[in-house]
Amino acid sequence: MKAEDLRKTAFAMPHHNPSYPVGPYRFVDREYMIITYRTDREALRRVVPEPLQFDDAIVKYEFIRMPNSTGFGDYTESGQVIPVRLHGQAGGYVHSMFLDDDPPIAGGRELWGFPKKLASPTLRAERDTLVGTLDFGPTRVAIGTMGYKHKALAPGIVMQALEEPGFLLKIIPHVDGSPRICELVRYYLRDIVLKGAWTGPAALSLYPHGLAPVAELPVREVISCVHLIADLTLDLGEVVHDYLAETARRPARG
Amino acid sequence: MKSEDVRNTAFAMPLCSPSYPIGPYRFVDREYMIITYRTDREALEKIVPEPLEIIEPTVKYEFIRMPHSTGFGSYAGSAQVIPVRFRHQRGNYTHAMFLDAHPPIAGGRELWGFPQKLAAPNLNVARDTLVGSLDFGPVRAAIGSMGYKHTALAPEVVLPTLEEPGFLLKIIPHVDGRPRICELVRYYLRDIELKGAWTGPAALALYPHALAPVAELPVREVISCVHLIADFTLDLGEVVHDYLG
Repeated sequence: MKAEDLRKTAFAMPHHNPSYPVGPYRFVDREYMIITYRTDREALRRVVPEPLQFDDAIVKYEFIRMPNSTGFGDYTESGQVIPVRLHGQAGGYVHSMFLDDDPPIAGGRELWGFPKKLASPTLRAERDTLVGTLDFGPTRVAIGTMGYKHKALAPGIVMQALEEPGFLLKIIPHVDGSPRICELVRYYLRDIVLKGAWTGPAALSLYPHGLAPVAELPVREVISCVHLIADLTLDLGEVVHDYLAETARRPARG
Repeated sequence: MKSEDVRNTAFAMPLCSPSYPIGPYRFVDREYMIITYRTDREALEKIVPEPLEIIEPTVKYEFIRMPHSTGFGSYAGSAQVIPVRFRHQRGNYTHAMFLDAHPPIAGGRELWGFPQKLAAPNLNVARDTLVGSLDFGPVRAAIGSMGYKHTALAPEVVLPTLEEPGFLLKIIPHVDGRPRICELVRYYLRDIELKGAWTGPAALALYPHALAPVAELPVREVISCVHLIADFTLDLGEVVHDYLG
């Protein structure tokens, strides 16, 4: 293969059959259960990177079914999102994410900087209850439950949350182990069609795990929850802060 | 977290619980079945990137068990590796690789540029046969078989190949979709301790799959095979060519 052709066609690995296609990344019938809880301020201080700031010690624990996702397929996700501000703009900082599908893990990490790991999340209606679970290998690490469609929510307040930007910390090492990319990224959901939103009684339990430390942001009190279904496009992002620009590159790690 | 602490601790995502640890990456009792076959020169010419050169139209199809792997755990892999030359240095270009564990996929892609995907590879002894298989979802993509330890191979036959460099094409996009990293990477295995090597009768079948296109380098003739067990350290790499530079 000519070097010139490689330059023109390079998008992702493997070059001849990339792990994820070029977007746009449209999601149809994306279903969320989002349980908002109060945690310890001290715990959030350790994990929210400057220049992001937070007001209240709040975490959104999400279970997401994505049955029909352009280029990514049919898969499920679970994670923790922290309401933050960047220079006064409200948004959600994605702290951790667990998926059961490789293309959105590879693409999520390498394109945007989503902090994704492979695990086994689920979200489904079990008789009267909407149940979300997260297993890491053989170990249960999270379980959320919610009464099924107890009370409809007006689109206005739900849409407002979906239209806020997301923030990510994209980190990619150099081949010698030194940091190559270390950036704060902002992205938006576009062309959102909200198909329904509900609330009801909810509960959430998190369990300790060495590689899925969701319980390090402990649940002190469940504040609210929302179950929603929407179509949306996950847009590409923009760099809003470059951590490496502030200093000369660190020496290689051995 | 202070931005200075982000800078000083950032190694991989997620910041607070990276998907893979900092090395060194030591493998103990790593077991390979490598079936070398002849393929079509034209097929190789389409996929081997300059400045690498094809030596002859051969591919090494590998099935690998990695039961004790520092920071990565116990997992299996399957790969297509192409013998190449880089400015008169012999080496092996990894064209495709499939693993069943996530830390080595994330670390392999992001640190070195290994072209790894998640799938279900296997390498097992089935009575008299060493059997390697690769399934992608519910679909079989490759199956290799070999007589179990029929003929021992002398270490000096096997070690020179393990000591050759590996070559990778590391590609990482920018957040807006443009290419951010597009580099040819060279790496070496270090501190190799060969624990045994054998050969015997071997066969290999590859099946078409849209996302695991191993059959695009078709098997025309099996040339040789080796079964080996070794300990070694997978060293970090160096950039030998920058396509964006």
